[in-house]
Amino acid sequence: MNLDWAWIQRNLSMIGNLLVEHIILSVLPVLVALVISLPLGFLVFKTKRVANVILAFLGVIYSIPSLALFVMMPLILGTKILNPVNIVAALSIYSIALLVRSVVDGLRSVPASVKESASAVGYGWLRRLVRVELPLAMPVIYSGLRVVTVSNIALVSVAVLIGSGALGKLFDLGFGSFFYTPIIVGLVLMLALALAADALILLMQRGTLPWFRKRQTA
Amino acid sequence: MKIKKALLGVGLGIAGLLLTACGGNSNPLSDASSPQPSQSGSATGAQGAPVVVGSADFTESKILAEIYSQALKAKGVESSTKLGIGSREIYTKALQDGSISAVPEYTGNLLLNFDANATATTAEEVEKSLPAVLPPGIKVLKASPAVDQDVYVVTKDFSAKSGITSLEDLKKIASTSTLGGPPELEKRAYGPPGLEKIYGAKFKSFVPYAKYPPKISDLDSNKIQVATFFTTDAVISEKGYVQLEDPQSMILPQNVIPLVRSDVADNADAVAALDAVQSTLTTEDLVQLDKKVDSERQDPAQVAGEWLKSKGLA
Amino acid sequence: MNIFSYLTDPANWQGPAGIWNLLLQHLAYTAASVAIAAAIAIPLGIFIGHTGRGSFLVIGVSNAARAVPTLGLLVLVVLLLGTGVGPIIGVLAVLALPPILTATATGIQGADHEAVHAARALGMSARQIVSKVEWPLALPLVISGLRSASLQVVATATVAAYSSGEGLGRLLITGNATRNYAEMFAGAFMVAALAVVLDILLGGLGWLASRHANPGRRGRRGRQTSPRGETVSQPA
Repeated sequence: MNLDWAWIQRNLSMIGNLLVEHIILSVLPVLVALVISLPLGFLVFKTKRVANVILAFLGVIYSIPSLALFVMMPLILGTKILNPVNIVAALSIYSIALLVRSVVDGLRSVPASVKESASAVGYGWLRRLVRVELPLAMPVIYSGLRVVTVSNIALVSVAVLIGSGALGKLFDLGFGSFFYTPIIVGLVLMLALALAADALILLMQRGTLPWFRKRQTA
Repeated sequence: MKIKKALLGVGLGIAGLLLTACGGNSNPLSDASSPQPSQSGSATGAQGAPVVVGSADFTESKILAEIYSQALKAKGVESSTKLGIGSREIYTKALQDGSISAVPEYTGNLLLNFDANATATTAEEVEKSLPAVLPPGIKVLKASPAVDQDVYVVTKDFSAKSGITSLEDLKKIASTSTLGGPPELEKRAYGPPGLEKIYGAKFKSFVPYAKYPPKISDLDSNKIQVATFFTTDAVISEKGYVQLEDPQSMILPQNVIPLVRSDVADNADAVAALDAVQSTLTTEDLVQLDKKVDSERQDPAQVAGEWLKSKGLA
Repeated sequence: MNIFSYLTDPANWQGPAGIWNLLLQHLAYTAASVAIAAAIAIPLGIFIGHTGRGSFLVIGVSNAARAVPTLGLLVLVVLLLGTGVGPIIGVLAVLALPPILTATATGIQGADHEAVHAARALGMSARQIVSKVEWPLALPLVISGLRSASLQVVATATVAAYSSGEGLGRLLITGNATRNYAEMFAGAFMVAALAVVLDILLGGLGWLASRHANPGRRGRRGRQTSPRGETVSQPA
């Protein structure tokens, strides 16, 4: 299985375009999910008992295979079946399903004693949430963020079966002509992307939560 | 610090949502995208307007599309390509809604696509019948002597053992055999329905193959007994597959022919460029060009350019 | 075209390429791969969880597994090893391994330490400790691992139709090639339904197991999150 470096060189611009497309398709859902999951997760957390039911429901959504969700999005969104918006929407839904769980778990992990101390010192609920509970919940949320980002990067390639898929198109190309090089290029780039994204988020975590560095990271 | 981060997150999120909204509209052919970076918003093809040449997702179609596009450019007609759109069902829609304005086609299957009951059998009859069946706004230009047929094949060993050399023989083994071909073949007139109607051969099952390698692998290992390919595919001669004869012309002659929107047909320069290509193209050319891209991994655009130069058309 | 038309036409359910048959193929692939993966991952997980050796392996593997693009792996394996049922089940089993391994190891390791100490104090042998104490306590987590693995495989088996034409993915691929949206939707719907049913069934099983493991104890129900907040990967 030799790599055809000449082919890689000839197609650098195509590979580059696919890489950019891949980054956009995987990162956008995470951003959307983050914006929605923080408040939504907080709301779910507040419902206490009902929270478990909601989380179970989200878990069911999470269990639906991505390709199936990509194809069923048009029913919900009214888009054409092969519109890339379907992919971003579907991945956002997955990301939300997971991140809401992370937010809830994170908020639940804050010891009651800490919350009580904050209230005792005079913090209102909002200030306590933003200054105490959320920061303490962040490690769990960051962990969820890493999982979601890395998963999305792999999931985007599945969309090649419906004509999209960014770097996944390299798999399609290679498979169609018994050509290993594009497949290897695709695999390497995706894994590199996942590693880079994971490291980046970890760095962000270290940067914004310096006090957590002493403890073990998930 | 946390508030700043939250605000940043919200800001990015909003930016992201905006991007999605824009991104959803930018590609008119949003149900197909190819690795090729070339794109154009809409193709009108009126005198001097750019001609967007689309292609199916197999090699030969891509090469032909590149040849057409570069020949047009050489004659001063602006052109770009949109390769790998998909099967006929898909790119016909693209042609009709204007996302592309030309596509390389094959006479016989094109005829069957619009008139399933066509009775033409020779190349001339097929070409003559075409204009009448095409939808409004779509025309064909000159057909080429170059031909690329769908063909049913069996392996050399299978043919030797079972004596199958023609589609007529299939009814002997069909009920215990499996046929493999592209997913769209299943319902086509020259697919299983045609085999049953014309040759009395009803296969036990049909396996759809989106790509060649598994089809080739399964044929070689006898998981499937009969498979379809194209007559110009290099794999047929490489593997020594036996092409089954078609005495009743179930598979119509498939001459290469440009399918275009009327505005392209009205563009004299475009027509001249494409006609020149059509008269020059031969079946042997197709075989060679396919081999360069499929076996030698060369780039369709480059291979197309070299061919045009060698024929003095660019 | 009514998007449900493919599903509601009884003719589409019969025959070798009918929805019913494809569903059975899909289930067969799933059952076989998860069984094989479990046969390897559960013993290995018990060993790692009980002895504490190799736990780095577990974390590393589970993190890395999330990043693997299943389509790429599948395509590579098929080109290398051919389209037989073997290579495909092989890939599916490999993808099912990490969740089961992680869950088993974590479950065994995290089994109530007091119970384990008590068992040791009673003089139980290692085998007895594992089978009578650690395993029942770890069972909810193991089942949650099997659940993740099954979902992962159901999802990847959909993609596997790309190379083999078997399983519910075939509806998606053929539907995509012929622009038959109803057929595509039928495939998507059936795959989603299968995944949801399996998820609920195994979830219920896990709940039962956790009731058995922690009778009278409220709270955590054998779900996917461990106290550290680790979560399980999304199937393809």
